[in-house]
Amino acid sequence: MSIALRGVTRQYGDFAAVENIDLTVETGALLALLGPSGSGKTTLLRIIAGLEIPDAGQVLFDGNDATLWPIADRKVGFVFQHYALFRHMTVFENVAFGLKVKRRRLRPSRAEIRKKVQALLELIQLGWAQDRYPAQLSGGQRQRVALARAMAVDPKVLLLDEPFGALDSQVRHELRRWLRRLHDELHFTSIIVTHDQQEAIEVADAIVVLNRGRIEQSGIPGEMYDLPNSAFVHRFLGQVNELPVQTRNGRAYIGPIDISAAGGLPAGAGKNVALIRPHEIEIGDPASGWPATVVAVRVIGPIVRVDLCAEGQPVHEPLEAEISRERFEAERFSTGKKVGLRFRRWQVYPDAA
Amino acid sequence: MSRLLLIASALLFLVLFLVLPLLAVFVQALAKGFGAYYSAVSEPMAWAAVKLTLLVAAIAVPLNLAFGIAAAWAIGKFEFRGKSALVTLIDLPFAVSPVIAGMIFILIFGTHGWFGGYLRAQHIHVVFAVPGIVLATVFVTFPFIARELIPVMQAQGNADEEIALSLGATGWQCLWRVTLPNIRWGLLYGVLLCNARAMGEFGAVSVVSGHVRGLTNTMPLHVEILYNEYNYTAAFAVASLLALLALLTLAGKSFLEWRQPELRPAARLRRDRTGREHP
Repeated sequence: MSIALRGVTRQYGDFAAVENIDLTVETGALLALLGPSGSGKTTLLRIIAGLEIPDAGQVLFDGNDATLWPIADRKVGFVFQHYALFRHMTVFENVAFGLKVKRRRLRPSRAEIRKKVQALLELIQLGWAQDRYPAQLSGGQRQRVALARAMAVDPKVLLLDEPFGALDSQVRHELRRWLRRLHDELHFTSIIVTHDQQEAIEVADAIVVLNRGRIEQSGIPGEMYDLPNSAFVHRFLGQVNELPVQTRNGRAYIGPIDISAAGGLPAGAGKNVALIRPHEIEIGDPASGWPATVVAVRVIGPIVRVDLCAEGQPVHEPLEAEISRERFEAERFSTGKKVGLRFRRWQVYPDAA
Repeated sequence: MSRLLLIASALLFLVLFLVLPLLAVFVQALAKGFGAYYSAVSEPMAWAAVKLTLLVAAIAVPLNLAFGIAAAWAIGKFEFRGKSALVTLIDLPFAVSPVIAGMIFILIFGTHGWFGGYLRAQHIHVVFAVPGIVLATVFVTFPFIARELIPVMQAQGNADEEIALSLGATGWQCLWRVTLPNIRWGLLYGVLLCNARAMGEFGAVSVVSGHVRGLTNTMPLHVEILYNEYNYTAAFAVASLLALLALLTLAGKSFLEWRQPELRPAARLRRDRTGREHP
């Protein structure tokens, strides 16, 4: 099922949680709504689910106006961050809930319910736990039960609100991969809300970045990481170093590096800031580039993070660079070493502050 | 040492002010032997008082049960204007003296009250009759269940209900299968407290009852009448019944408290593969 939002707005008092949102999710796509807390991503998800009614605008399911459809008619499966499992029911009863509450005419027989629930429990690899209560399961297991419960009623759309937010990073990583496989096998249309850019980039086909109730940018994960169209998205999608751009005699510099030739400077006379990702900093010979001192070195598996204090920069705000393990093994920087910096890529934005 | 002293003084206080009086009730009731006790309790007037008390509780508790659930639901799960005013209003019966509660009903339904004339014309007796007693009891026991449920409902939020609705449940299915099971322990606890107060209420009921023996005397009122007639054995015999009902309620309450931690998820920490504890 394809989903479209047309000019959706939702106010709480004077505060617009989401404002004039246009959005399309194709059938079978996995879209991530990404944004800091308070950006309106959960409100948007709840509007699609029917848990909130927008003040203005339309929600379209396969082109039909579903704005005022009751929740039950929308065929959406909803999964919350904190699972919201029915704690007085066993795992089996939780998953069977959506089937048992169907009107008698539509309700499957007991045997059919049993078969379907057991199949789902096998799918989430929790067949052994069907008689347990939610309190007896770990967080990751509970979230899988919540997913199975949502899938039991054959939803066309799966809506996930920070589904892995309460789990530790190992479990989160496993579940993300599992969710992606599930999505590909079962052909849902899925929307996942998250504030974790890593999660969005890893799992989604498309990302929509929200900020203060508006869409900041939408696109394909890799492209957005490389070509953010605003400083906000640039900062939000990964680590960045921020350096002021100075203008002297009609030329633009980051530190001592002349960047005028590269172009890409915003028009206007205001102050500008350059955003540079850690892996875009090249560490080389002190004779070439911006002189700097290595302040700290941290080996993190395949990558090495190097903190650098560039000449003329405040000491308590070192730049962060990332280089490969191989390169590090070859060069062996240690704390205190003098080096020279170059920037492989950067992007300049007007400095709002 | 100081801890011992603290515990000892608390115990002493309990014995002096709670256990001794309670014992005294039973000792006094049985002072003239079991025969006298039995005849005092099985006397028709006493029996009528027991029946009336049970009847009043049987009406007041379900009424406040329905109200308590509705009020807690509204307050716990929705945002609306005047919410804090509603919460304050629910506490009103706790704040005003029961005597005032009784007076209110006299003022409204009494012979010279606002609806007195109309009610007399219809031959409906509210004040100095059973309906008045029920009204006064409902008023006094009004906050017990709502007060017990509001924090529970607020803590649980709406997620379970929203999930149930998204899975296709109707409002009723949601109430019976999700909301009520989630609040059942708080609910039972509230019902017990409400019931204890409904049976024991004296002040408000005394004002509206009219003290007609065998007709409008509840157990607490009957005890007072007997006592005023210097019929100590009978007075304490009925009082002991009332005390027994209270003790039963307390036993029920401790039973629930003993059961409840079992059901609270935090009490069941499990270790997962990594050895971390999960609630």
